[in-house]
Amino acid sequence: MDAAPVPAARLRQLQAVGVLSGFAAGAWLGAAEAPTKVVTLGISPIAISLVMVLGVFVARWSLPALIRGTANVGTDVRRTPHLVVWALMAGCIWAVANTLTVFAIRDIGLSIAFPLWNTNSLLGIVWGALLFNELRGAGRVRWLGVIGGATVMFVGAVILALVSPTQAPGGSSARGIAAALGAGVLWGTMYIPYRKAYLTGMNPLSFITFFTIGELGMMVSLAFVYLGGPTGTWTELAQVRGVLFWLLLGGFVWVVGDLFQQYAAKYVGIGRGIPLSNTNQLWGLLWGIFVFGELAGSGRAVYGQVIGGSIIMALGAGAIALSTAARAEHRRWQEAAQREAERYGVEPEYVRARLSGYETDAPRGRTVWDWLIVGVATAVFIGFAANARAPELQIHYGWALGLTVVMLGLLGGCGVALWRTTRLG
Amino acid sequence: MTDLQDTPRRRLHWLRPIVGDIQFWIPIAVLVGGLLLLTWVA
Repeated sequence: MDAAPVPAARLRQLQAVGVLSGFAAGAWLGAAEAPTKVVTLGISPIAISLVMVLGVFVARWSLPALIRGTANVGTDVRRTPHLVVWALMAGCIWAVANTLTVFAIRDIGLSIAFPLWNTNSLLGIVWGALLFNELRGAGRVRWLGVIGGATVMFVGAVILALVSPTQAPGGSSARGIAAALGAGVLWGTMYIPYRKAYLTGMNPLSFITFFTIGELGMMVSLAFVYLGGPTGTWTELAQVRGVLFWLLLGGFVWVVGDLFQQYAAKYVGIGRGIPLSNTNQLWGLLWGIFVFGELAGSGRAVYGQVIGGSIIMALGAGAIALSTAARAEHRRWQEAAQREAERYGVEPEYVRARLSGYETDAPRGRTVWDWLIVGVATAVFIGFAANARAPELQIHYGWALGLTVVMLGLLGGCGVALWRTTRLG
Repeated sequence: MTDLQDTPRRRLHWLRPIVGDIQFWIPIAVLVGGLLLLTWVA
């Protein structure tokens, strides 16, 4: 069995939509930090993480139901049941990594911890090349573009992180560094299941539906261990019910970003998609500086550092965006996909079509169950919003509106491009 | 695909390639390592 190569024009379309998804992911993942900033100190980091994951869970069931209908999820599961196991495992890895970052920030501060766990994109490149034929047959220029771009982005991330307003509170530095690096390794390895799923043809909207069960299950288990069982967890959440909405909202925004990240991983691979979505650090900083006035009163040197770091990071992302896979490399991806199809007994035609962004057998339309899921999710958010306390922070609403408009523009633009090119496949 | 009848073995036969896939054990090892690391840092 030898798969026919994807036509050059089609490949260019898929790569372009993958790159656009990576940038859209950066904007939405970065903005997800904003609602969490309105939460004042004094809440257990584990509780913050748990409530965000609850928001993520609600969004990850309701968005696929709204966009495509859950009947599509059933089709994917029947074709590739083994990927449910991979998705659950990836969700567990995400929850452990996220909890480690909380402890890393506690011990060494965000400025040191962020670049350490951002090394996940470098590990993603290694796994992509080693296990899934990414960058094979890509040629020297593209190798240089991706690896050089990711390295340059890492340097930019370090510079930006050094001006980050969250400073180290002074915990155990060895433990903090280990936690941050550990989170990087976990997240970098989490992309193995991502790539596995998308090479075999699973739709990102189906993958996240199961991913989030692993994520919530692991997070609830960790909360029970660290917050004193169900009673301790409930008590902790009840004390902070006024801010739960903002955390849920953060989780929801994060899901939109993650969804774009999944499409980026599908169409440009993890070696390119993950560094592109790591531009979230730039967006987080934009929200911090302009909406929350975090660097107000800082000297010129600080602003110089911010501008310099941002330009370096953008240049690195640009280099990766210009180094998309050509036909020779894409042939190697097809070989990796073929290997997966043979190992797991998936129909080669299904794998081939899905890798090219076509969904020929997907049922269309929503059922009463889909509308029920959307209705319950909306009710959950309205319920928490009704009990929410107004933030005590000073917020520059003009900038918040401006950034939101840009984000919505990216959502609309990228969403339409994905729909036209792949029917959100 | 095997031609087993509709038995519990047939229904779960898709699990077998996962166990035999070395790529499955890499994330599992990392997950276990992450949990051990968490017990140390927490």
